[in-house]
Amino acid sequence: MADTTANQLFDLWKKQFEEGSQAWTRLMTQTPAAAPADPFAFWRPVLDQGLQTWAKLFSQAPASPELLTQWKQFLDQWIEAWSKVLGQTMGTEHFAKLMGQSLDQLLTAQAPIKKAGDQAIEQTLQALNLPSRTQLAAVAKQIVELEDRIERLEDMLGTLLRRLDKEPR
Amino acid sequence: MGQERFADVVERFTNGFGAAAPAASPEVVTQWQEELDKNFRRLKNLHQMVANPTEPKVGQTPREEIYKKNKSRLYRYASSRRHRTPILFVPNLGISRPYIFDLLPNGSFIEHMTREGFDFYLLDWGVFGPEDNDLSVETCVTKLLPRMAQKVLETSGTDELSVLGYCMGAPISACFVATHPDVPVKNFINMAGPIDFSKVGLFGLWLSKEYFSVDRFVDTFGSVPADMVKAGFKLIKPTMDLSTNVNLWWNLWNDKYVEGFQALNKWANEYVAFPGEFFRQWVRDFYQENRLYRGELVMGGRPVRLGNITCPVFVVGAKEDYIAPPECVRALIDAVGSREKEYIELPGGHISLIAGRGAALHCWPKVSGWLAPHS
Repeated sequence: MADTTANQLFDLWKKQFEEGSQAWTRLMTQTPAAAPADPFAFWRPVLDQGLQTWAKLFSQAPASPELLTQWKQFLDQWIEAWSKVLGQTMGTEHFAKLMGQSLDQLLTAQAPIKKAGDQAIEQTLQALNLPSRTQLAAVAKQIVELEDRIERLEDMLGTLLRRLDKEPR
Repeated sequence: MGQERFADVVERFTNGFGAAAPAASPEVVTQWQEELDKNFRRLKNLHQMVANPTEPKVGQTPREEIYKKNKSRLYRYASSRRHRTPILFVPNLGISRPYIFDLLPNGSFIEHMTREGFDFYLLDWGVFGPEDNDLSVETCVTKLLPRMAQKVLETSGTDELSVLGYCMGAPISACFVATHPDVPVKNFINMAGPIDFSKVGLFGLWLSKEYFSVDRFVDTFGSVPADMVKAGFKLIKPTMDLSTNVNLWWNLWNDKYVEGFQALNKWANEYVAFPGEFFRQWVRDFYQENRLYRGELVMGGRPVRLGNITCPVFVVGAKEDYIAPPECVRALIDAVGSREKEYIELPGGHISLIAGRGAALHCWPKVSGWLAPHS
């Protein structure tokens, strides 16, 4: 009995959630001029019916830890449904465009601030007679290039030694 | 929901549960006792995690550093070396650390492969800083990978090797194998590595040239900071953290689960920055132009033609992989010139394909099973 009512609850919740998620997707992709839909219009009956079913369930049978398992399943399905809704919304060209525009705005704002900040830090460090990150990075690059050269010399030496070994005495 | 309607519902709920409810059976009482015990253990483990956090011990399979070049390291793992042909494992560059492949004892892909008798070498690309911003995909393919392959052959004393690429490591190592026919690659394995970027899913859409200016991004930041890499991967599955924490609370009573969670959580929050030029080339040539699959890529003056790969090829895709969807990974089978080639699709996502209990059941035996007769 408890299983039947719980299953009914899940089925009802799933149906209502699908309708609600479609409303959310339409809301995210609609133009600003359109009147905003009331997303809670779909959720209120779900919650009300869900609570009624749980109350009936508790009155008919004693509570057991299986209910906790069912609650966990409910949560998992709720999260999975949200994941699908968000995935569908984020998979739209509209979302990609919005994200690109946000990033462009960030880069437009960030670039001059970063440049000014880097210059200020360089000047401050120079005044304090301390090395800057750019200078340290340049030194690191030189060390890497030196390692490369040493490796090439080792390769050449290795090749010469192998040739000498092969030559008849 | 109106306050009055909610009060009505609460009243119905509380009136329906009370004197009319039947008495609990002994089984239900036992179940509640077990649940209470679990809750007690949950609180105990939670207290332990918060008040006395311990650093998880990861990467415990014994290994030796064979070679290093700048930030990159080549490690050779202890093994009986029953199989003569060594394996060079090429993981993703940047993004995350490679100890995911050697997470915990009895939960490690590398441990499994060494127990199966393979001479296993891991290329750890390293953690990059601003001095590495000039590192490009081309440098990795034309300079680093040939050098690593050479060191594998020298130290193993063999004249052939197998190359195993995972995630980004697969297309990069495919470029290396295709452009270096002089390197004796006996087998090539692609695990969850995207090849046809026209089918790569959400990242392909977000990084497309209509919406993302990679040049402007790299010119502004110089590199891709680790925080941005983290933000990108969190965004692709925004409910992951919520789901992880719900499952953590549910399983917190289980000490084994907590140990595994701590190790995986450490890895999942340790992101690595991308060198700027690497990111620029990776996004432009692979994601935006799909040059690898279309045969338009040139590395070190050599055209990259996947058809030039003629060794046996084994490709493993993950059914629920949203980072490298199966159709994107499978494309390698149609592109290579090998006569012997096989594709399998296994349960799991991008990470759970290679790490975790599911990976130990499904993926690892298949990979070692395919490699054994080919080695």
